[in-house]
Amino acid sequence: MNLSQATATAPSAPADPHPRAGQSLSGAEIVVQVLADEGCRVLFGYSGGAILPVYDAVFRHNAQRRGADGREPMPLIVPANEQGAGFMAAGYARATGAVGVAIVTSGPGATNLVTPIRDAMADSIPLVAICGQVPTAMLGSDAFQEAPVAGIMGACAKHVFLVTEPAQLEATLRSAFEIARSGRPGPVVIDIPKNVQNASLVFDGACRLPLPGYRSRLRALEHSHLDEATCAELFRALMQARRPLIYAGGGVIAGAAAPALAAFVEAFGIPVTTTLMGLGGFDTTHPLALHLLGMHGTAHANYAVEDCDFLLALGARFDDRVAGVPEQFAPRARYLAQIDIDPAEIGKVKRVHWHHAGPLAPALERLTAHGRAHALRPQLADWHAHIAALKRAHGLDWDRASALIQPQAVIEAINRITRGEAIISTGVGQHQMWAAQYFDFRRPRHWLTSGSMGTMGFGLPAAIGAQFARPDALVIDIDGDGSIRMNLGELETVTTYDLPIKVVVLNNVGDGMVRQWQRLFFGSRFAATDKNLHKKDFVRAAQADGFAWARRLERKDELEATIAAFLAHPGPAFLEVMVDPDAGVYPMVGPGASYAQMITGPFIASRAARPPAEADVPATAMF
Amino acid sequence: MKHTLSILLQNESGALLRVAGLFAARHVNIDALTVAVTHDPGVSQLTLVLHGDAGVLEQILRQLRKLVDVLDASSLSLVGSGERSRLVAGSA
Ligand SMILES: Cc1ncc(C[n+]2csc(CCOP(=O)(O)OP(=O)(O)O)c2C)c(N)n1
Ligand SMILES: [Mg+2]
Repeated sequence: MNLSQATATAPSAPADPHPRAGQSLSGAEIVVQVLADEGCRVLFGYSGGAILPVYDAVFRHNAQRRGADGREPMPLIVPANEQGAGFMAAGYARATGAVGVAIVTSGPGATNLVTPIRDAMADSIPLVAICGQVPTAMLGSDAFQEAPVAGIMGACAKHVFLVTEPAQLEATLRSAFEIARSGRPGPVVIDIPKNVQNASLVFDGACRLPLPGYRSRLRALEHSHLDEATCAELFRALMQARRPLIYAGGGVIAGAAAPALAAFVEAFGIPVTTTLMGLGGFDTTHPLALHLLGMHGTAHANYAVEDCDFLLALGARFDDRVAGVPEQFAPRARYLAQIDIDPAEIGKVKRVHWHHAGPLAPALERLTAHGRAHALRPQLADWHAHIAALKRAHGLDWDRASALIQPQAVIEAINRITRGEAIISTGVGQHQMWAAQYFDFRRPRHWLTSGSMGTMGFGLPAAIGAQFARPDALVIDIDGDGSIRMNLGELETVTTYDLPIKVVVLNNVGDGMVRQWQRLFFGSRFAATDKNLHKKDFVRAAQADGFAWARRLERKDELEATIAAFLAHPGPAFLEVMVDPDAGVYPMVGPGASYAQMITGPFIASRAARPPAEADVPATAMF
Repeated sequence: MKHTLSILLQNESGALLRVAGLFAARHVNIDALTVAVTHDPGVSQLTLVLHGDAGVLEQILRQLRKLVDVLDASSLSLVGSGERSRLVAGSA
C-alpha cells in the first residue's frame, strides 16, 4: 500500500443526491455521517459530557456497519490524554495526506488539544478537531467545563467555527474539511454545543458554507498557471547560473510534488537540499541529494548553500532554523526564486527575483516541460563534481572510538535494516536531529516530526496515528528520555490496540539538546536538564504497559544483534538504549550565526582554515 | 509610516477577534479601528489604522487575506480610485 500520493484535493460535490438526503437525523448523527462521507477511516478522541451525543452516534454507526471480520468502519481510538488524540490524528494525516480527525469534550478536553492544534498549524498539517461545548443557552455563563474554545483555538488554528445555529452544522462540517485540506493545509476546529448535537435536523448530503472570500482567493491561486514568459524568465537565470541549488521544504510533501521534483531534477541536474519538513520530498540516496540544511544540516548541504549562485526555494519559507541571519543566507546567490502555495510566504523573509504563488506540482511540471521543449540543459559538470567532493570531504561522522554507545550509531544500525522504507516519528531534541541526519528518506510521508513547534511528546502518539493509517508499514518512534515522558501514557495505547510499533528511547539521562545549549551559552550550568537523580525504569514501565518485548541496551558490542531482534519482533516492542550523555549534535549553526560560522565539531571536517569552535559562537539574544 | 486599511469581514462569530488576534500575534499595533455595517447585514466594514514600514503593511495584508472570514483587505493608500469607490459603495 502506497498512500504517499493520497490526494490533497476536496472530493467534488456528488452528482447524485446523497443516499440519506432528506432523512431526519440528529446533529450528532450528521457529524458522523459527514465524517464517513469525508473518508475518515479512524477517529481519535476522549469522551466527556459535552460530546456524549456524538460518541453515541459513532458507537451506533460502527455497530450497524461492522464488517464480516468484526471490524468497525470508523473505530474511535482512545488515548491517555487528548493531546495524544491530537498527535495521533496528526500522525495519521502526516503519514497519508488525508485529514486527521480528533473528537474531544468541552473545557479540559478542548484545552488539552491546544498544543497539537498549534503544532499542526505550524507544520501545515490538515486536521479537523471536533469539540463538545456547553449548550448555547449557557455559553458565557462560566458553566461547568466551559472554555472559550473559539477564542483560544482561533489564535492557533487555520480556522475555528462555533456552531450556534443547528441548521448550519452540516455545511460547517463539510466546509471544515475543505478548509483543512485546501491551499496551505492546516487544522480546523469545530466547537459544537451539546444542544446542537441533539437538535433534530434534515440531512442535505451536499451543502457547504459559501465562504466567498476564502473560495475566490483559493480559486485564483489554484488557477494561477505559469505562463511561457515567466518560465522563460526563470530559465534565463538558470542557464546563466553555474551553481544552482534547490532548497525544498514541506510544501513538496504537502503539495504531493515529490514526483514532479524528481522529474525536474532529472531533466536539469540541479542538486537538492531539504528542510526538516521536506525530508522525503527528494530521495536522500540520490547522488544530487544533499540531505538536510540549516542549524543542524549536513556540512555539505550548508556549504552548498554558501557556494550556490542561484537558489530555487520550493515550498520552503526561509525560517529561522534555516536562515537564522537572512541577509547572510546563500550569500553568493545572485538569483533567488520561490514557489509557494501561500502568497504571504513569498518574499516574507528574503526578497526574491522570481516567484510563483500556486500549487507546486503543476508549476514544476510546467517548468520541466518548458525546459525540455527548448532543450535547455544547464552545463553543471563542475558543480556536480564540487558537490560530490563536498559530500566526500564533509560527510557526517561521530566518535567511533568511544567505548560508549553513540546515538548516531544506533540510528545507522536501524537504517541499515530499514533502508529508508520505515515510517519514522520522533520526539524533540538531539535524538530528533540525529534521526533527521542519519536516516535515509526515500519517499514522502515517512518522516513525522514536530518541525516548527518542536513539541516534545509528539513521537509516540504520532507513531500510533501513523500505524492506524498504514497498518502494514514498519513504524518506528525514535524518542528521547525527556520527550517520551510527556506522553508516556500512550505506551499503553500501543498495546491496547496491539500496534506493532517499535519504540526506541535514546536515553542520555536528560534533556540533551538543552544541555548542548547550556554548554554553549550558559557556562555548562545544567539547570534542570540533568536527570541523574531520576529513578525511572523505562523497561519496567513498558512492561507494565503490556510490552512483551522490552529491553535495555547498554553494551556497544550488542548493538547490531539487539536492534535486529527488536525490529524483527512482530508485535509492539520497546528498546531503551543508554547512549553517551555527552554526545553533541553536529554540525551546528548557532542561533543568530551564519553558515560560515558553522561548527562542525570534533568528527566532521570543516573547510575553514581556522574552523569555528563552540567558543566562537556569539552570545546571542536569539533563542 | 501610517496606513489605513479597509477590511470587508463576514459577520461570523469570533470574526472580529480573529482580525484583532492576527494583529496581536504578528506584533502590529492597531492605532484606530472602526466597524461599520454595510448594505449586506452579513458583512461588516472595518477601517483600521496602523503604522509600520511597507514590509509590515504588505505582510499584514497578505496575512489578513488568509483569514477565512475576510472578504477583502486593502490599503486605502494603495488602492486605485475604482477600488476605493467600490469599497465606499459597499459600506452603508
Ligand atoms: C513541550 C516542550 N517543552 C520544552 C521543550 C524545550 N526542549 C527542547 S529539546 C528539550 C530536551 C529534550 O530531551 P530529550 O527528549 O531527552 O531529547 P534529547 O535532546 O536528550 O535527545 C527540551 C526541554 C520543547 N521542545 N517542548
Ligand atoms: Mg534525553
